[in-house]
Amino acid sequence: MILGYPPNYYSNIEIVDTAVGGESEKMREEYARMIEHYFLPISTQFANPETRFLTLKTQWEADTAMLSSATEIAMHPAYQQIIGMGHTAIRFILVEMKKKPGHWFWALKSITGEDPVLPNQRGRVKEMTQAWLRWGREKKYL
Amino acid sequence: MSKNEIERFFPNLRMSGYSVTSPETPEYNCIAWAAWDNETWWWPDAQHLYYWPPEIPRTETLEAFVKAFEIFGYTVCNNVTNEEGFEKIAIYIDSHGKPTHAARQLSSGNWTSKLGSLEDIEHKTLGVLTGFSYGIVGIIMKRPKKE
Repeated sequence: MILGYPPNYYSNIEIVDTAVGGESEKMREEYARMIEHYFLPISTQFANPETRFLTLKTQWEADTAMLSSATEIAMHPAYQQIIGMGHTAIRFILVEMKKKPGHWFWALKSITGEDPVLPNQRGRVKEMTQAWLRWGREKKYL
Repeated sequence: MSKNEIERFFPNLRMSGYSVTSPETPEYNCIAWAAWDNETWWWPDAQHLYYWPPEIPRTETLEAFVKAFEIFGYTVCNNVTNEEGFEKIAIYIDSHGKPTHAARQLSSGNWTSKLGSLEDIEHKTLGVLTGFSYGIVGIIMKRPKKE
């Protein structure tokens, strides 16, 4: 499986290591990205909401992991598309947050119009995550 | 995340030598790390989601970031030289002058940076993080080292 996508798309693809070293590995990673884009057309990616969410999430994480700017992180086109999914995305986001804390707060606040995070928890990502997971359980998303 | 992934964002690191000094985590960012905080994500976002010193304007400008570090006793200076008795920070800015990153100088003269939600790294120069991800170094600040 490549980058968390369904394995059936890649079952016949084998990427063979032909060299060692950083440059080789980088080329191999870029090749994997290229294959992913070729074999996973947008129509397929977006047919199922969960697949769509995971596709956008992977793209967002890959492009923004090194950013500190909360604004830049949230303005990424893939993140904006997740917000555009509306209430459909809430459960997917909360399930993701349960697995691993991440910067989903902007999306959740934008979609729901709510913010269960207390002022003294601002920036405390673990506490912010717990506040949203509590909210999700109360609202029966989890 | 592997070093290759880090170097995908910062290709200059490949040739310069650097070390990864923490696990990756989304719990704090470079601004917090420069201010010796490894528990909080600092940013003056318009949604008021993240921590920002309450007395400082919540704007994504270099001026606001300078003011935020002035709280901790830093003043603007004009060089990156490792000066005994002082510690320095650097604030990076993008092509619009918006802050993107901060690094803190270590007593060795090397710099430490938290890379977004990725790891902390120790790097030899500020230049290795300049480029498409963080832009350029916008300002250097220093303060007397605490005993």
